Amino acid sequence: MSTMFALLKIEGKLVWKGIDILIFGICFPIILAVLFGYLLSKEASSGSSNFELSYAAVITIGVLATGVMGLPLTIADYRHRGILKRFQVTPVSPLQLLFAQGLIQLSSALVSFVGVTLVYYLFFDYRLAGSWFMFLSVYAFVIVAMYSIGIFIGSVVPDQKAANMWSSVAYFTMLLFSGATIPYEVMPRFVQLIMDILPLSHGIHLLKMVTTGEAMAGMAVPMLILGICTVISLVGAFKFFKWK
Amino acid sequence: MVLKVENLSVTYGQKTAVDRISFQVKPGHVFGLLGANGAGKSSTIAAVLGIEKSTHDELGIVGKSPVRNRKEVFQQVGVQFQETNFQDKLTVSEACRQWQALYRKSADLPALLQTFGLAGKEKQLVKLLSGGERQRLAVLLALIPEPKLVFLDELTTGLDTKARRMLWKQLLTMKENGLAIVLTSHYMDEVEALCDEILILREGQTVFHGTIQEALIASEKTTLEDAYLLFAGEGEHWE
Repeated sequence: MSTMFALLKIEGKLVWKGIDILIFGICFPIILAVLFGYLLSKEASSGSSNFELSYAAVITIGVLATGVMGLPLTIADYRHRGILKRFQVTPVSPLQLLFAQGLIQLSSALVSFVGVTLVYYLFFDYRLAGSWFMFLSVYAFVIVAMYSIGIFIGSVVPDQKAANMWSSVAYFTMLLFSGATIPYEVMPRFVQLIMDILPLSHGIHLLKMVTTGEAMAGMAVPMLILGICTVISLVGAFKFFKWK
Repeated sequence: MVLKVENLSVTYGQKTAVDRISFQVKPGHVFGLLGANGAGKSSTIAAVLGIEKSTHDELGIVGKSPVRNRKEVFQQVGVQFQETNFQDKLTVSEACRQWQALYRKSADLPALLQTFGLAGKEKQLVKLLSGGERQRLAVLLALIPEPKLVFLDELTTGLDTKARRMLWKQLLTMKENGLAIVLTSHYMDEVEALCDEILILREGQTVFHGTIQEALIASEKTTLEDAYLLFAGEGEHWE
């Protein structure tokens, strides 16, 4: 326990001293929240307005930036510079290191979540239509799925270049093509078909349902897809984890 | 025996980097692994630590396999790699406290910092330390778990004479108290000052294994440096 605490404290300080986490994890989603608040229509012709739907999307951006980008890049950087190799000849387990880095990144995703939520609530009178309990449970599930993907990328990439490439591919495709920034609904049909492959599309779909308080009947398939994605990523990460 | 290695080989594709080497280290003994650059010293150390794949008849650190019992073995073993990199923005005291937290036991940190000439530098960023200071920090970290066995790969490369002497003195004191050491070095004065036993590698093969005295006798040379050059094949181009 004291090992975990010390890792969290020291590694947390190091990560938070970096500027990336602040820009991509926190500022970007909050700025987007403000923009959406001004730009998107708050009129609901049928069901929920575009603005109301956008909340589910914007709260995933911080998760994406920290889990799919920040996390694998930190791990790959430590591997590249031989820092993981030094940890390899100590009693610490890869699980402890990954878990600590994950929690640190998560701390900024949560700051981003609170920031975005405050912007929606205080400036634009947004109100969650569904139950908070359901919403937070689904949100936690989506976070776990996204972080698993990041942990998988960070665990298996051979070098810094590959880490940059794969985390950028995962980050930008999901940022643009899963409805996190550009809504799923406005995309042409063939793009929507591609979007259906991306795990985050299903995450955002789920979040839209629970934030608007829609029927829960359609949740099984997206849940299953995210669950499978999480299991495959985590098993792959621990099986193929590379120290150097 | 703190360390037992029997017929250990490391191969990279077709190339045999280390060829069936065997040695043992007792508590309170210092074992020197010598050889030219590329002779297989670092590969041997990596294989003994279990971070490089190897074939072996026996490989035991404190009686256990470093591969299967990694966590237990490394509670009792410290390692200083040839090149030590640290996280950006890490301070000296953070580096030490982080390392302390990984182990059940921990040496007296202020005393270690004093011994290694790093007292008063705790708040400094590791990357702003001089090369010699960073090297001493790496050795200090290896000693934090109060290990039974410590691996030091080129421990005084980059240190000035005074710092080297200080480090030797410290290691000899710890050796008196039962610490076993495996080291690599290019400096024969260091080997003479510290090692009870040496093994000289040449292209992955053991060309000499024994005490310094035995090396002098077998080579019919008067200094260890000459004996080393003969065995390691480094003198050939000059004579």
